[in-house]
Amino acid sequence: MIEPLTDVVPSFFAMLNQGPLTLTIALHTVIILPMFWIYRSEKKRLESQE
Amino acid sequence: MANKNLSVWTSIPFWRRSAAWVTGFASILLIWLTFDTLGQITMGTDDDLKNGVTKRVPAATVINYKIGYEMSTKRGHEVPTIGEKEPFFGKEWSADDAADLLHLGKLTSQTKNCMNCHTLLGNGAYYAPDLTKAWIDPAWSKTGPMMAMTGKSTKEEAIAEFLQHPSTYPTHARMMPELGITADEAKGLVAFLKHMSSIDTNGFPRNFGKEEGSTNAH
Amino acid sequence: MLTSIKENHLTNKGQELGMMYFRVAIILFGAQLVMGLIAAIQFLAPGFLFELFDFSVARMVHINALVVWMLYAMIGATYMMLTDETGHEGVAIGLGKLGFWLLTAAVTVVVLVYIIVQVGPGTEASLWLIHEGREYIEAPRWADIGIVVVVLIFYFNVFATYMKGEKTGIMTVMVANLLALAGLYMAGMFYTDNISMDQFWWWWVIHLWVEATWEVFVGTLAAYALIKIIGAKREIVEMWLWIEVLMLFGSGILGMGHHYFWIGTPEYWWEIGALFSALEPVPLIAMFVHVLYDWGKEQGIAEGRGETASVITNGPAMAWIVTNAFGNFLGAGIWGFFHTLPQVNIYTHGTQFTAAHGHLSFFGAYATILIGMMYYGLQRAYGVQRMKLTFKSKMGIFLTTFGVMGMTIALTIAGYEQVIVERGEMGATWNAFFVAQNLPWYVQAQMWRAIMGVVTLLGFIYLAWDLLTIGKVSKEAEA
Repeated sequence: MIEPLTDVVPSFFAMLNQGPLTLTIALHTVIILPMFWIYRSEKKRLESQE
Repeated sequence: MANKNLSVWTSIPFWRRSAAWVTGFASILLIWLTFDTLGQITMGTDDDLKNGVTKRVPAATVINYKIGYEMSTKRGHEVPTIGEKEPFFGKEWSADDAADLLHLGKLTSQTKNCMNCHTLLGNGAYYAPDLTKAWIDPAWSKTGPMMAMTGKSTKEEAIAEFLQHPSTYPTHARMMPELGITADEAKGLVAFLKHMSSIDTNGFPRNFGKEEGSTNAH
Repeated sequence: MLTSIKENHLTNKGQELGMMYFRVAIILFGAQLVMGLIAAIQFLAPGFLFELFDFSVARMVHINALVVWMLYAMIGATYMMLTDETGHEGVAIGLGKLGFWLLTAAVTVVVLVYIIVQVGPGTEASLWLIHEGREYIEAPRWADIGIVVVVLIFYFNVFATYMKGEKTGIMTVMVANLLALAGLYMAGMFYTDNISMDQFWWWWVIHLWVEATWEVFVGTLAAYALIKIIGAKREIVEMWLWIEVLMLFGSGILGMGHHYFWIGTPEYWWEIGALFSALEPVPLIAMFVHVLYDWGKEQGIAEGRGETASVITNGPAMAWIVTNAFGNFLGAGIWGFFHTLPQVNIYTHGTQFTAAHGHLSFFGAYATILIGMMYYGLQRAYGVQRMKLTFKSKMGIFLTTFGVMGMTIALTIAGYEQVIVERGEMGATWNAFFVAQNLPWYVQAQMWRAIMGVVTLLGFIYLAWDLLTIGKVSKEAEA
């Protein structure tokens, strides 16, 4: 599952790059997850306005 | 009260905050990645070459070495190889002289507008061949046509001669024009091309034609 | 267009300045097409103007005229909407006019030097005075500095007006986006001996312009234009705009990775470039849906009220905006996605595939909506209530769109052949390149490209003629 590093320099991002799409999915996840929090706080704000 | 909008999905503030978050965070990631990449593509030093340290972009003194392009089973694609020493224009270049020559060459590549006919590392115009691995192109090898045409005995001299009088040595109906390249500038351009061929381009171009003993058609 | 300012229907100086920018933009658009045609002929007849006006010169002026006319039209469009959006007449517009003349003088000198001097010796002085030899941002260093000064004046106009006037959502996006757009230009203003480093920062300008900030700019223009032309509701348009900003920047900023596959940069860019840029078409679909949906919705509401007339108050502008919605998705989205994955791109990188994508995306994503804004500007300048498509408007939009589409298909076929023969089969050498350039598929495709280029130029002639006359014609028809 975990594949050996192939790149020239074993940097942080090269280490996240462990197989098909691991790096890009990790980055997409950290970008999208906080939107759940934004959604919930926005819902709370709308409800309190009512 | 009936018209009261309670859906977050139609709330402008939700989308505005999300847009601000995504844009800001993607920018931060890009800046982080940029720092990481800049460290990796900074030119190496002469000592790196002497000690066999692999750099994505080697020092200018790489012109003192034989350069190849071989399949790497570890990387899964072709990578440039830096072999034994070979004279470049009949001598070994010091770190300072090599850097000066590369400087002149890179500068000339811009002022002569190479990129608006050729591609460099695949970027530029599509009117003339890609120059990424031009230094190791079979056309310029001992058995290729260019050496005989220019009447020179080494690859670097043949390329330098061609660059000074390109339309004297046509390779196709589509010729390279005379650009007023001087003998010094031509030397610099050859150094620039040799240096570029030593850059690790993650296997681009793939399956590049080999000088000899290859299955690629010539 | 020539008498647009003398007509005195424009209510403020900013819109006059906008019309001035539009006029220069359309002249440069014409210059771009002529240069493109010269370059297209050289593909077929390499002796054409050889060592007099070489391909490299024609191509440099071709792509520089493109970038500059689009920036002119973008600045013009911003001045056009500034007062409407902020409700303020504009701060220091007189200074902006001075900036216009400075920029136009500089552009004239730069183009003359490109055409007359062409190349210089390999010295720093050549970079400062002639050109920098870096595709798209060739402008010599002195002009770089001049551009920065003029853009600062322009940005001051916009920012100061925004601060004093009403802060709408559209204008907030505009002000923030323009700051990024202008700032990014600086990433292209230095010299390095390291070609990988050179291209790394070069893409910061080129990619973050055309695949991020310019796209958001188009989003703001479309939002403004839909309110003005079909009477779309501001709440709906602004919500769409924020969603577009989210998706465009979310995919476009890290989508930059697709330019970092092969220039010496690390392997991790393969994954980042692949998936982020694969998502870049998504906001373009959203923009397409948005334009058509709002149009249908407004028309439906009008019909529900018992009105029979079209909700469109500017036919040619709306026609170009709908072409933009479709062209942006097709040219930037589909043609971009074709070769964005590294497994494909290793073969297509630096072939006519890129040229095909470049032609349709610059036209579809940018030229179309900017021309639409020019028509809208004319409607305002001549005080026309309802501007209708003339025969010339129809010929202009049909022939240019058909011509560009034809060029794109021809170049795609040429690229396909190049990929199979030069890259796949023969290994991308000097010899492989020329073998591929000589095959019938390639030569015929280049022939069709030249023919379609002529069609595009014909379309442009109709377009320019229409822009010159439609204001007066519409005004007289209404009187």
